[in-house]
Amino acid sequence: MIVVHRLVRLLIVLLAVTFLSYALLNLLPGDPVTQILGLSATEEARAQVRQELGLDQPLLVRYLDWLGGIATGDFGTSYITRMPVAAELAERLPVTLELLVAAQVIALGLAIPIGVAAARRAGRALDQALTALSFALLSTPVFVLGVLLILVFAVTWQVVPATGWTPISLDLGWNLTSVILPAVTLGCGQLAVYARLLRTDLIATLQEDYITLARARGLSPRRILWRHALRPSAITLITAVGLNLGALIGGAVIIETLFGLPGVGRLIVDSIFSRDYLSVQGGVVLISVGYVAVNVAVDLVYAAVDPRIRRA
Amino acid sequence: MKRWRTPATLLLATAVLLACSGQRPVAGPPGGGPSAASSGPAQGGRLVYGLSADANGFNPVTDQFAAQSYSMVTTIIEPLVAVAADGSWKPYLAESVTPNDKYDEWTIKVRSGIAFTDGIRLTGDIVKANLEAQKASPLTAAVFVPIKSFELADPMTVKVKLSQPWVAFPYYLAAQNGMIVPPASLADPRTASLKPVGTGPFIFKEYVPDNRMVVVKNPHYWRNGLPYLDEIEFRILPDSQTRAQTLEAGGIDAIGTSRDEDLTKFGAMKDAYSVHRAEGMAVAEYFFLLNTAVAPLDDVRVRRALAHATDRRTVISTLRGGLTEPADGPWSKDSPWYAAGGYPDYDLAKATALVKEVEAEKGPIRFELISTPDPNTMQGVELAQDMWRKAGIEVSIKQADQADLINRAITGGFQATVWTQFSAQDPDGEYIWMHQGYAKPVGSISLNMTRLKDDRLSKALDVGRISPDEATRKQAYATVQERLRELVPYVFVDHLNTGAIIARSRVQGIGEHTLPDGEKGLPLTGSPIPYHPFTQIWVTQR
Repeated sequence: MIVVHRLVRLLIVLLAVTFLSYALLNLLPGDPVTQILGLSATEEARAQVRQELGLDQPLLVRYLDWLGGIATGDFGTSYITRMPVAAELAERLPVTLELLVAAQVIALGLAIPIGVAAARRAGRALDQALTALSFALLSTPVFVLGVLLILVFAVTWQVVPATGWTPISLDLGWNLTSVILPAVTLGCGQLAVYARLLRTDLIATLQEDYITLARARGLSPRRILWRHALRPSAITLITAVGLNLGALIGGAVIIETLFGLPGVGRLIVDSIFSRDYLSVQGGVVLISVGYVAVNVAVDLVYAAVDPRIRRA
Repeated sequence: MKRWRTPATLLLATAVLLACSGQRPVAGPPGGGPSAASSGPAQGGRLVYGLSADANGFNPVTDQFAAQSYSMVTTIIEPLVAVAADGSWKPYLAESVTPNDKYDEWTIKVRSGIAFTDGIRLTGDIVKANLEAQKASPLTAAVFVPIKSFELADPMTVKVKLSQPWVAFPYYLAAQNGMIVPPASLADPRTASLKPVGTGPFIFKEYVPDNRMVVVKNPHYWRNGLPYLDEIEFRILPDSQTRAQTLEAGGIDAIGTSRDEDLTKFGAMKDAYSVHRAEGMAVAEYFFLLNTAVAPLDDVRVRRALAHATDRRTVISTLRGGLTEPADGPWSKDSPWYAAGGYPDYDLAKATALVKEVEAEKGPIRFELISTPDPNTMQGVELAQDMWRKAGIEVSIKQADQADLINRAITGGFQATVWTQFSAQDPDGEYIWMHQGYAKPVGSISLNMTRLKDDRLSKALDVGRISPDEATRKQAYATVQERLRELVPYVFVDHLNTGAIIARSRVQGIGEHTLPDGEKGLPLTGSPIPYHPFTQIWVTQR
């Protein structure tokens, strides 16, 4: 029942998002036909291409036509590359997925120990230093951080490539070296958010009565922290991981351009600039489904992390 | 007490190990490169080349080619004609291209002994089919409007019949319109867009959109001993700063750029890098495009005032690091078509006087200037706004992305906009952008985007198109420049010769281009970032 309810909500969200994005994109000034044919094409040639692509049809007709295609798994064909949009997305999705997962792993992997350390020493020098570091990371735009990291790790030390992408299927080692800098760049902003959230929640949890009881029972501070305080303090963090997917995707657009990664974000941006409506729509559907799915998964994780939620 | 550090330390260590686990991020294996740079060109090696953008596709009949497309596609597909270093056209896949007395019929004789990499031999009927496809294509048809028909005179010869004399016709065969693909590509344009086939020095190996294209040596290339390289990887790196950083980090061997800071920085490291800049007709001009069909820019006094108020040297010193040359027309001083004199020079007093004269009749002068939102372009636009304000002209800036800006320009939905253009090898290449026959009312598609209608200018363009006599043509294009300077549909700023190729010192032969009959070919062409042939590029061992 819950699954059906979620699916209905997903469908409503998808309809709203795709219609709005389709309408907004079509309201943008600029003509896809000029992007396809260039400046020197005649008016007759433009009319011919417009008709071939169905761009002479009203907006709603085009949207419904596209929606009908989606229902049968046909995402349409790119105006510019004339490739099926589904194939374009399938080719680029692994790149973006790997980048997002790697960024989240790096962010969480570093944020948890940092948050725990800061909470344990709340108000002391280490906490203040970590707080300052968090704010510095939060306030550094990803494109600045990316350029700095390239300068240090690629140009000066030459331990990773500055740009480029090697698929896992081609060479795992090269793949890891090509994803590490983009993932660190993307993950740093999230790291700061996660560390701050965890620190705040942990400090509150450490003042709970059951923690005082645990201390009175003689449990070690490490055991109290990692076994008894961390899990109930992670709810906000888990929520943020789900909600931040949107921010991560936004950051991925910049990161993919900066590091020359052939991902979905770059496809969407290029398609917006070239008014390739169907490619943009395909990307929007993909991101919307992904966003909703991740947040459903987050709801399920709540229950696994906190028994009180499971019982409720 | 401090054990909490363990997970973080492990993660950091893992990250570092991961980072170090791959090979050192330099370009691919040497692949049997030559032993010494000083010993001259040698076979073998691999080149990794950074491009600023991906291509829309590789089919010359259906896909619009920008400079980066030419970089990739000309390694595989070749044109009938090429441009020589002196700016003249020379046959390439064609053995000869000959006009009749009136220049309204051209005979293209195809070289024998050339084959596509799919095994099909290049013949006259294939050339005819290609040219017919170009004429039928919505993408390229406008250029071939003067062509009436194509006829196969013999198995290796095609006659092109025109509706009017066209002296510069062969130049159009040096670009997209003259690139020849095999029948299979014409029959299946979608496949040809993704997997190009041609007669060129390299063969398509791999293409990953927005990532890379790899081509390998064509062992049966019709030009003996060429190409030198075994393989080229074109890597798509849209961010200009990280592209330059990748070159510096050793991840790629050469890049195209249009940033003056790259020219300055890498130019100073002469032992490590070589910098090759485009020159002459290949250089585009940076200017403000004015819509002469709408107020207040329909008044030539306002347009002249704008030119008088534009301090081109200040723009160049402020925005281009002093690297470019001021422009006073569509062709630079090192072009054989350049004619001096007559452009309204920087003179604020003259500009102010003209503004006052117009204001006395029509009231305050205000208009909107469109710019793309990128910081470099915006700086130039804001500088112009400030200069023009000093003359008494109020300009508001409107930002529009490239697609919107282009659409406004061709439909007339603008007053003024920043623009870069005019890099055709022959002045006739600018015919459709300046001739009054291509100026349409606001709201209609107008290739003459200024919508300037001037009989003398258009007649001069016609003379340049039909007259075979070089002196007459030069005179005609001198008239074109004179009229442009008098009527000011464009406020010229500079010749944008910051377009360059920067290569590591191991890369030799960029810009070296010997044509099949022995003439020196044009080293670099195209804008804003130039392109060049890869046939004679070679690399030294690392």
